[in-house]
Amino acid sequence: MGKIEVHALRGLSLEISPGAFVAIMGSSGSGKSTLLNMIGCLDFPTKGKVYLKGKNIAEMPESQLSQFRGKILGFVFQEFNLLPNLNALENVMLPMVFQKVPLAERKEKAQNILGKVGLKGRVHHQPSELSGGERQRVALARAFANDPEVVIADEPTGNLDSVTGRMIMETLTDFHKKQGKTMVVVTHDPKIAQYAEEIVNIQDGQIVGNHATAKEYLWKNHD
Amino acid sequence: MTDLKEYFNIALRNIRTRLLRSWLTILGIIIGVFLIISLLSLSEGLKMTVDQQLQALGGEMVMIVPGEDFISSMMFGGTKLQAEDIEAIQKADGVDTVISYSYIGTIARYEGESKQIAIAGLGPWREALEIFEVFQGWSLREGRWPSKGNQVLIGQQVANKIFAEEVEIGSEIIIKGRKFETTGILNSLGSQQDDSMVYMDIDVYQDVTGEKRGTAAYAMAKLVDGADENEVAESIEESLKKTRKRRLGADEADFSVITSEKMGELAGNILGIIQIVIIGFASIAIVVGGIGITNSMFTSVRERTREIGVMKAIGATNSAILSIFLIEAGIIGILGGVGGLILGSALAKGIDYYAQMNPSFYFTATVAPWMIVFALLFSFSVGCLAGFFPARQAAKLKPVDALRRYE
Repeated sequence: MGKIEVHALRGLSLEISPGAFVAIMGSSGSGKSTLLNMIGCLDFPTKGKVYLKGKNIAEMPESQLSQFRGKILGFVFQEFNLLPNLNALENVMLPMVFQKVPLAERKEKAQNILGKVGLKGRVHHQPSELSGGERQRVALARAFANDPEVVIADEPTGNLDSVTGRMIMETLTDFHKKQGKTMVVVTHDPKIAQYAEEIVNIQDGQIVGNHATAKEYLWKNHD
Repeated sequence: MTDLKEYFNIALRNIRTRLLRSWLTILGIIIGVFLIISLLSLSEGLKMTVDQQLQALGGEMVMIVPGEDFISSMMFGGTKLQAEDIEAIQKADGVDTVISYSYIGTIARYEGESKQIAIAGLGPWREALEIFEVFQGWSLREGRWPSKGNQVLIGQQVANKIFAEEVEIGSEIIIKGRKFETTGILNSLGSQQDDSMVYMDIDVYQDVTGEKRGTAAYAMAKLVDGADENEVAESIEESLKKTRKRRLGADEADFSVITSEKMGELAGNILGIIQIVIIGFASIAIVVGGIGITNSMFTSVRERTREIGVMKAIGATNSAILSIFLIEAGIIGILGGVGGLILGSALAKGIDYYAQMNPSFYFTATVAPWMIVFALLFSFSVGCLAGFFPARQAAKLKPVDALRRYE
């Protein structure tokens, strides 16, 4: 079976500065998730370069990439992606296990963050015993566990009802505001995009600037 | 170390969530290791039994068997030692007494019942009994040593098993139309064959069977005190060769002089072959078990590709993922090893127990310490090896590919 080469992204150039809150918008198949995966070191461009903290990710050895993913980046997925065999606390502790954080510290930190996302009483529940919103909050807590510089969220509210979705976005915004973390959120929901400070619109693998420029323009005027 | 402990916990959790499948895989290993352990313990038991019998031969005796090939003449008989040969043995340096020994299968009647047994003739009778008592460990369970020509000794099997009625001391047993009186019953001699014999004076034996007087199926030479068995064996060989050359004009040595040392070597060779065959079979069992683990690990990796993607996305290194899966496979391997070991040892103990309860069952099984170490190491490494390839495959995936699977 031959493979048909599909260019998910073409001639795209995007710069995200530290501390920004960027929403990447676009319809299904526009390439927004591919863009996000590259920012998150989960995927690599066949041509072109992705620089993270000034380093070309395609040239980084695997050990450094995992270090980046674990320490610099935090991920929130649409499908939550919790490990089903581990309870909420263990799921939040897992990124710290990979960073070799000692057990006691790990536990305290994880409990602390789970408290912040409002799950204090549910730390010992398995993912299957939690609601969708609760699971995503566990995933949020996990993304923040190693105190990352950038948090990346791929349709974080895509599987949630609007009320729960709003709660998740508010939690994310809260982290952004209080801790000054860089946020990159992929969404096709304009309501969610409103939480962002910058909006990048993407279509057929290319940035179609209008909306974004307008917003940028708006922000510039605001300053 | 702390992360290894954590990986161990995760691996254990993974095994527990797929409990049935994990147990089935473990069962595969259990059967493999059980086979290995039981086969090896049986072969070890066989070795011990043979060693014990060899020890009964003792260092003070040398055996002389006609024929070029010791094994075939022991099994099929055929050529006999002639009277001149016996004389030649007697003349050799360091030989004290020569015992002639012949045997043949025949029908015996007891209480109107005819059964297949074997009769053996020993001579000279009195010396033979004395030597066998001291050096071969013959002892009477009942009765007394026979003294007259028509008196016989019977083995334990003849007394208890062969005839429907137990053969009693003083009773009459008919062999080839001649009446014999049972005067003694021997304790077990350690082999089924020896215990199924009726022993008599070789002269009487030759009368009954029509064997040429003075010949023997084989001979045993008792050495004079302090003689070296290898030197005596050599001198017997010399002496025999000389007579044979005179008699037949042939130069080849168509007889074997066997010392206990040589016998040990010989038995060792045979046992070695048996053991190789056994290990071959056992290896097949283990390979099958190993394929089971590999299969299970591959399935497990495939269905958890997404989890692997998640773990990589939150900072797991390739080696962390590899460790988790290797530990998982190793645990399965070790559990299978321990299970197989317990079952295998139980079987060996069972056989051992049965053999002690039934002295006529000449078989024991022994679990040697090296087998335990071997089984555990083996199952663990099979587990790790079987887990290694799927785990490495999983660890090498690009996170985005792993996450995309089964979406």
